[in-house]
Amino acid sequence: MQGFFNTNFSTLKMAMDASSVRHQVIAQNIANSETPNYKRLEVRFEDELKKHLHKKDLSLKTPHPKHISNHPQSLDHVSIQVSRVVETTITNDENNVDLDREMALMAYNTIRYQTLSRLMEANIGRYYTVMRGA
Amino acid sequence: MLNLFETMNISASGMTAQRARLDVIASNIANAETTRGHDNEPYRRKTVLFSEIIQNELLAPESAQSGMNLGGVRIVRIEEDQRPFRLVFDPSHPDADDTGYVQMPNVNVLKEMIDLINAQRSYEANASVVSATKAFATAALQIRGGG
Repeated sequence: MQGFFNTNFSTLKMAMDASSVRHQVIAQNIANSETPNYKRLEVRFEDELKKHLHKKDLSLKTPHPKHISNHPQSLDHVSIQVSRVVETTITNDENNVDLDREMALMAYNTIRYQTLSRLMEANIGRYYTVMRGA
Repeated sequence: MLNLFETMNISASGMTAQRARLDVIASNIANAETTRGHDNEPYRRKTVLFSEIIQNELLAPESAQSGMNLGGVRIVRIEEDQRPFRLVFDPSHPDADDTGYVQMPNVNVLKEMIDLINAQRSYEANASVVSATKAFATAALQIRGGG
C-alpha cells in the first residue's frame, strides 16, 4: 500500500477495521444483555489514533534517513483495543449492559462505517480519474 | 468480511437464546395451574441460565486486533425454581390434601409476563444488529470507486 497509494488508504482501512470490530463487540454486548455476571466490552481506537496523529510536537529532526525517528509514519503502532468495563453494574444479576445505549452506539457506528466506506470510494475514485486522464 | 459473518453468528446465538427463553416462559404460563408434574409433585417453574461464549480470553492486545474470539451467548441449562409451591385452599380439588389445601405450581404469571417482554425486547435488539450488519456489508460492497 505504501508508495503508490497515499496514506489515506491505510488510515481509512484502520478506521473501518476499528468500526467493524466495534460492531462485533456491540453484537456481543447485546447478545449477552440478559446474561448474569456479564460485563460489557468496549473498543478504544480513536483516542489512540488521535494521540498518534498529534504526536508531532516533540518529534526529533531526522535529516539523515538512518536517523531514528520518534514519530512512526506507519499506523502499525495504533492498535484496536478491546477492554472489559468491570467497574459498573446495572442490574441485580451483576450485568452492566444498557440495551438502549448499545443500540444508540450501534446506530452511530453504522453511520460512521458508511461514511468511511464513502470516503474510501472517493479516495479510489481519484485514482480512476488520473488513470482515465480526464 | 469474515468478521461480519461472525457478528451475524453472535446475533444469531442471541436470538436462539431468547427464543429458548420464550419457550420456557410459554411452558411456565401454560402450566401455571398444573398440579401433576414430575415425581407426583406440581409443576415447577423453569428458568434458563445464560452464559457468555468466549473462545479464549480476548483481552490480550495482540488478539484484540482481530476481534475474532467473541462467540455470543449460549444456554448452560434449564433450571427448576426451588422455591416452595403456592398453597391454595380448595377442598373440592381432586389433589387437595386432608386439610383441604392444594399445592399449586410456584409460577407467578405476572413475573412471567415481565420476562416475556424482556425476552421479546432482547430478541428484537439482536434482530436489529443483524440488520445493521447487513448495512455494514452493503456499505463495504459498494466501494468500487470511479463508477
